[in-house]
Amino acid sequence: MALRLTVNGVQHSLDVEGDTPLLWVIRDELGLKGTKFGCGAGLCGACTVHLNGQPVRSCSTPVEMAAGGQVQTIEGLGGGDQLHALQQAWIEQGVPQCGYCQSGQIMSAAHLLASNPAPSRDDIVAAMTGNLCRCGTYSRILAAVESVAAGSSNSQEV
Amino acid sequence: MAMKRRDFLKVSVGASGGLVVSLALPGCAGIQTGYQPETGEWRPDAWLELTPNDEVFFTLARVEMGQGTYTGLTTLIAEELEIKPERITPRFAPVAPEYRNPLYKLQLTGGSTSVATSWEPLRMAGAEARLMLVMAAARVWNLEAAECHASEGRVLHPNGIDSMAYGKLVELAAKEVVRGDIALKPREQWKYIGKQQGRLDARAKSTGTAVYGIDVELPDMVYGVIARSPRHGGRVAGFNGDEVRAMTGVLEVFETERGVAVVADKYWRARKAQEALNVGWDFSEALSVSTDDVFESYRTAADEDPGESERSEGSFERAVEGAERVLEAEYVQPYLAHATLEPMNATAWYRGDRMEVWAPTQAPDLGRIAVARVTDLGPDDVTINTTFLGGGFGRRLTQDYIEEAAAVAYRLRRPVKVIWSREEDTRHDLYRPAMLHRMRASLSGGELTGWHHQIVGPQILDWYVRNAAPAQYPWAPRFMYDTLGKVGLMAEGIATPKDMSAIEGGIEYPYQVDNIDIRHTHTDPGVPVTWWRSVGYSHNGFAVETFMDELAHESGEDPYQFRRRLVSSEPRHLEVLDRAAHLANWTAPAPQGRARGIALFRSFGTYVAQVVEAGIENGAIRVYKVACAVDCGQVVNPRIVEDQIEGGILFGLTAALYGEITLESGRVQQSNFHDYQLMRQYERPDVLVAIVDSTEAPTGVGEPGVPPVIPALGNALFALTGKRQRSLPLTADA
Repeated sequence: MALRLTVNGVQHSLDVEGDTPLLWVIRDELGLKGTKFGCGAGLCGACTVHLNGQPVRSCSTPVEMAAGGQVQTIEGLGGGDQLHALQQAWIEQGVPQCGYCQSGQIMSAAHLLASNPAPSRDDIVAAMTGNLCRCGTYSRILAAVESVAAGSSNSQEV
Repeated sequence: MAMKRRDFLKVSVGASGGLVVSLALPGCAGIQTGYQPETGEWRPDAWLELTPNDEVFFTLARVEMGQGTYTGLTTLIAEELEIKPERITPRFAPVAPEYRNPLYKLQLTGGSTSVATSWEPLRMAGAEARLMLVMAAARVWNLEAAECHASEGRVLHPNGIDSMAYGKLVELAAKEVVRGDIALKPREQWKYIGKQQGRLDARAKSTGTAVYGIDVELPDMVYGVIARSPRHGGRVAGFNGDEVRAMTGVLEVFETERGVAVVADKYWRARKAQEALNVGWDFSEALSVSTDDVFESYRTAADEDPGESERSEGSFERAVEGAERVLEAEYVQPYLAHATLEPMNATAWYRGDRMEVWAPTQAPDLGRIAVARVTDLGPDDVTINTTFLGGGFGRRLTQDYIEEAAAVAYRLRRPVKVIWSREEDTRHDLYRPAMLHRMRASLSGGELTGWHHQIVGPQILDWYVRNAAPAQYPWAPRFMYDTLGKVGLMAEGIATPKDMSAIEGGIEYPYQVDNIDIRHTHTDPGVPVTWWRSVGYSHNGFAVETFMDELAHESGEDPYQFRRRLVSSEPRHLEVLDRAAHLANWTAPAPQGRARGIALFRSFGTYVAQVVEAGIENGAIRVYKVACAVDCGQVVNPRIVEDQIEGGILFGLTAALYGEITLESGRVQQSNFHDYQLMRQYERPDVLVAIVDSTEAPTGVGEPGVPPVIPALGNALFALTGKRQRSLPLTADA
């Protein structure tokens, strides 16, 4: 049975089993490889995408639960060729090391700022704690999110 | 300069009509590989290629796994070529002898060696190309080369008006001949080395466009998963293949060397089929130990065998006889998994006479051997395409995941990607060995007079020669691989004359003590082991620097001052120790409810001292601050040094707080991030890194941040609670 899904503004009709995790539909059916597989159990956050505006772990979200919904991935975060402010901050702060977790980190941070444009440091830490980074880039992530947060005094600092 | 330019630089005209600079490293000329350069613009043996379209390509022979080679090595080329690093496009190297790591004679990335081994050759390659471009421009303008100079990708005319882009000059430049040696730029003229710069891969990694192994996409590709024996060494006795083969999308179900492979048109269908698979295992040859047995076997071995002497000075026995006090302690450290965030995976495509592999590997030429082992192909029939690595930490030096994918592709004869689940990645890792350390020391008149260190456990090369040896003998037929694996490296003494993996960091004990006896009791319980970020330094660091803390305490001396006194004639040790103590405000009392611990440890040629400030909050250990001083010689990119050191600190803290792989009757007990935890954002300590300004040759930074933080945290907890913890991971209720 065909299943409808809108990903980064583009509507798709997909012929996939309903229990397939959203992650593998995004990656292998739609070819959007920026969303990563890390643990398959919602423990690491590498697969974070937005479903109807909420961050979800796509590795443990059956695609049938997303049917008819709006999905946003790292590829759709900026506007066309424009980078999202967080992506710009990630580059300026030189956040990524191996980089494998960073799509998920950025998607978590993007949801935080969309729902709370002026988060406190504690808000940021709480929002980012579900995303593991094995390389240990946490302080650069924090600095990058803070540089974009509204009212940030160091938004120009590189 | 150790190497003369003419010894290793080759210049030629590329297929694009551009300028190609290659390096032929000494010692490689005699190796017969059957390797043929491919046709077209791509010159596989080129390190640097400039095209008439003003493009600059740099072949990155050390993989990028987060440690920053992509940026750091490109910076070395850019500095001498006189062009912004971001104008250079790095590409991952194919397998070729020119790209071997000269320290290992293998094309591998590890041991924190990339900058150290590239420091001179890459700058020379950049300098030669620049000089040829300047000579070509001078010829056009009818000037002397010395009158012109290069800047930002152009050669400038002395009139201050005219200039020519490199792209316009490369065809002419390729005909120039540079005579004699080239002087490298003096330090004070550097524009990029040692300066703050971003990472060249940051954009791709912030937009989801960087291609890791798991992202490789090929036409008509299918997906494989493998059910492996839950106990290492188990063999397949039978399985319900017919039932599983009938499932939707399943293409093949068959036995492989390590288990049963399930191949399906989609990954999730392969996984569901694997869940329906029932494999009967023959465990007659399988691992059966439990972790407790491992440590008991270590204790027995330690009692029965004092071990091979690795360093001996004075007489420890006499020091003990005359001592006022003798202290003894035993330290126990567990197996540790690598837990790269990108699970093991590889994609392979067999087309009759060739196998092509795409993989995140730290050792591409060993990947070719892995393919040859499970097919009737020779290494030269195998192409390895290296991708970005989602973490390495030593795990991807072993090519088991390529071997598996190749075996599946060989049967399927179409592109197949084999992906490990997180649970499989955790349970079928090769681990940082569990180790036992027995320490003894003698004290007299307030002085440390004797140091005895018995290191008990396996060494890693025993587990690696099978992989590595055939790469040294590319002419050898496959039936010889096992023999080579047993005698190859040892007989030739090529790759490593001696396996340092168990003793490194123990034998370099830096403190001034008259009587030293350091030994290794070699015992191997059969649990697969391999290199793990900082390797032997990781466990020797904990043993040495915790015992030093115990001795300071017994002597009634401040642990910083105790160490300071005993390394007073080692200026580089002393400087990092003083700077870390100063940075942490060591002499001021720690805030209420917190305490500090210190450790000093050199690894991979880099000197690191760290002070950890920790406490216990709500029944859990809390690390508030880590102050770190590092001397890694000349710094290429200060930000990457800071990041690597901080990353190493978090890696070490993760091990100290959570790291433990246990076995129960041969079965690994942990599986995913709920029971093999990694530090999270909310646990992040404030990390301060001070880098010593140095003109010494650069040394590595990927690993040296790891070892000292583990004892520094343990020492802080001792200062807090008065209870000494001698096994890892550390606990809050000890």
